[in-house]
Amino acid sequence: MSTVVRIAGSAGQGVQTLGDILARSVFRSGLYLHGEMSYHSRIRGGENTFTLRIGESPVLATEAQADLLVALNEEMLVVHRPAVREGGVVFTDEEVGEPGHGAVRLPAGRLARDELKLPIAAGVILLGAAARFLGLTPEVVRAEIRAAFGEKAEPNVRAVDLGYAHGPAGTPRLPAPRFAPGDRMLLTGGQAVGAGAIAAGCRFVASYPMTPGTAVFEFIAQHAAQHGIVVEQAEDEIAAINMALGASYAGARALVTTSGGGFALMVEGLSLARMIETPVVIHLGQRPGPATGLPTRTGQENLLFALHAGHGEFPRYIVAPTDPADAFYLTMKAFEVAEKYQVPAFVLTDQFLVDSYAVVSALSPTRVPVEEHLVPVEELDRLGRYERFAVTRSGISPRALPGVSEKLVLVDSDEHDPYGRITEDLGVRRAMVEKRLRKADGMREEISPPEIYPAGSLRGKRVLLGWGSTYGAIREATERLGEGYAHVHLRELWPLRTEELRRVWGEAEEVILVEETATGQLGRLVGGETGLRPHRFVPRYDGRPFTAEDILGALR
Amino acid sequence: MAELNGEKYLADVEIAWCPGCGNFAIRKSLARALAQVDLPPHKVVLVTGIGQAAKIAHYVNLNGFNGLHGRTIAAAAGVKLARPDLTVIAESGDGDLYGEGGNHLVHNIRRNVDLTVIAHDNRVYGLTKGQASPTAPRGYRTRAQPAGSPSAPLNPLALAVAVGAPFVAQAFSGEIERTADLIAQGIRHKGFALVNVLHPCPSWNRVQTFAWYRERLVHLEERGHDPTDRAAAFAVAIGSGEEIPIGVVYRTERPTFADGHPVLAGDPVGLRPLPSPEDVRPILEGFL
Ligand SMILES: Cc1ncc(C[n+]2csc(CCOP(=O)(O)OP(=O)(O)O)c2C)c(N)n1
Ligand code: SF4
Repeated sequence: MSTVVRIAGSAGQGVQTLGDILARSVFRSGLYLHGEMSYHSRIRGGENTFTLRIGESPVLATEAQADLLVALNEEMLVVHRPAVREGGVVFTDEEVGEPGHGAVRLPAGRLARDELKLPIAAGVILLGAAARFLGLTPEVVRAEIRAAFGEKAEPNVRAVDLGYAHGPAGTPRLPAPRFAPGDRMLLTGGQAVGAGAIAAGCRFVASYPMTPGTAVFEFIAQHAAQHGIVVEQAEDEIAAINMALGASYAGARALVTTSGGGFALMVEGLSLARMIETPVVIHLGQRPGPATGLPTRTGQENLLFALHAGHGEFPRYIVAPTDPADAFYLTMKAFEVAEKYQVPAFVLTDQFLVDSYAVVSALSPTRVPVEEHLVPVEELDRLGRYERFAVTRSGISPRALPGVSEKLVLVDSDEHDPYGRITEDLGVRRAMVEKRLRKADGMREEISPPEIYPAGSLRGKRVLLGWGSTYGAIREATERLGEGYAHVHLRELWPLRTEELRRVWGEAEEVILVEETATGQLGRLVGGETGLRPHRFVPRYDGRPFTAEDILGALR
Repeated sequence: MAELNGEKYLADVEIAWCPGCGNFAIRKSLARALAQVDLPPHKVVLVTGIGQAAKIAHYVNLNGFNGLHGRTIAAAAGVKLARPDLTVIAESGDGDLYGEGGNHLVHNIRRNVDLTVIAHDNRVYGLTKGQASPTAPRGYRTRAQPAGSPSAPLNPLALAVAVGAPFVAQAFSGEIERTADLIAQGIRHKGFALVNVLHPCPSWNRVQTFAWYRERLVHLEERGHDPTDRAAAFAVAIGSGEEIPIGVVYRTERPTFADGHPVLAGDPVGLRPLPSPEDVRPILEGFL
């Protein structure tokens, strides 16, 4: 069971800030939550909502219905009231014209103007009232207000207190604390990708702003000076990836972060990464396309694009995290795989994951080992001639940096011999193609198998198959469907491990793909590799994330 | 003598340039410039793009990053930002640097990364067989522009001075010593240095030949040009159309990208050790 609070306002009314404060207050109270920010692509006006789902156990999906709506203006009241459940409550300002029956009307605007001389604080007053109704202690909320507003906190602290004083007490809705302070973390997927990159030793980030990739770019920029990372806003995405490759060649673990349109511009650079066997991590935050699409909405339309982008044939590594914890660990792993195999690695997220808060088990920076994959300088000194692209069984050649020894390092976008010199020798060409492709064998071994829930045989079951951030919604739907249903989820998508998938198809009664696309890209990917096709497909492609209700509705 | 000629910088490999091409002389000038500044080969990275000129990465004994057409300066900036301890030279054709790569030229002048950019300006696309490059004169006829190029040529010197490049020079490939000297000055100059090297392409460009250039060259030093005077630099860059200026067009001091940068002031990021788990704990604690 969960309690859903929705704060709805126009851009500029502080919905994100109010949502952050409420989410942090709930987290501080020892409760699980999921916080989803949804917004129109506008800086002023439009419609912003923050949906907070509070639960007794981890929550990883959002919900359309709400128990408590805080409507910051009349328009939001009209738009969002229909989604309030029977017995739910609406908090709004007394100046809002037609609140309908059952609404709690507070003199928020008047108090903010007259008592606080800070009209914008009306939202904070409503927040205070909602917090009281939920049963949060004022101390917790005040502390979060202070953390959020810094020097400007005091009028806002008073606003919260006014909300507590004027709002009604609810029947306590929130469960008792579920975890102790220090046991869990609250973060967004975007923060998690950034933290994972830093933990993996990322030293160079170049990016051109594009939602939702920007969240990661900005997070790392905030920590760059402290952690010795060069962060540069490139003139375009083409520059971003070529700068990243130059930096990576020279020894800096490198990241680019973008979305579909930006990645489209990076594609030639992706091929270069592969030809010069220089690692780079690409954070590709998906949003609906084609072209500029729905700039602030979510989707999973770039799986096949990430997989097929680039001219020529070469292996790559693709992960799609399910939640912020997964995003942290898989980003670290993406850096490690990229460095070890000298390949491009993709962290494929989406707007929903990047912008949503979730409570996860405290992250451990030691779970994914971070290792050096360069030839030690002493070894280089002992070598006669250094061959950057020596042909090996594993396909991995010894990688050295320029300027650390007297050995010269030569890389070339043309086909080249082991030393790096241009060649058109057909035998060398064949050997190089084969060497590069051999890396996929090693990478496939490193990939974790799909998660199967509940564990055990799938015989006679209907399997809901998904990947990436739809995890929470699918899991919730599977649990509610109960007996006869299972959930199979892929987080590391390429190189594809086909044997487990064959098992799924072999045992299950039916495989139902659940994906935020119109065409079922994972189905096409698996089909291409194994000939197996999902029996049914539950799509969503309107730019909003899946809820468990959506999936149940499609299956009923 | 071998020392001064910089022979150690030259690779003993087969060279795929056309006989009589100006590229050979530019290669010699580069080696002499490196001998002048006396850098060990392994401390230099030559970043090139794609084209005939770009092949130079294979004809020298230096670290080399022979990347994509047009992306030379972007990749070179990445190398330099990761490794300020290395001397980074970006070298390619006029198509590469001014056509496909124009955006990176403009923005890296703005950034003022400490790079030396050597442009082989033959006014044509050599490798793709003679189409007009951005510096080709209006009316220049090729198989791709049979009625003559309808666009005015780009003026790289004026562009670089306008955007604020702190070192802008022009050389002629036929003058090996002088070209070497200008490249060496560019390398020594802290910040973004552009050396535009005019060079005849005997295979495709039948208009701007050696003789054509020789008739028009003027040496700025002999003219008493003051390269620190920006207005004079513009006048020289824009020129009369009759004369072709050779020498340092503009020279100034400007803060570089690295000056005062919170990260670039420390050890090169490309050489920093991997973080320990302890290093990231403060970030993770922020999520508690
Ligand atoms: C993205 C891309 N577009 C086009 C080409 C084809 N191409 C190779 S070299 C070249 C032009 C080279 O001209 P320039 O840079 O002036 O060098 P030059 O050959 O004259 O020395 C072109 C268009 C390419 N390799 N990559
Ligand atoms: S095409 Fe022209 S510039 Fe290129 S190598 Fe031949 S002569 Fe030189």
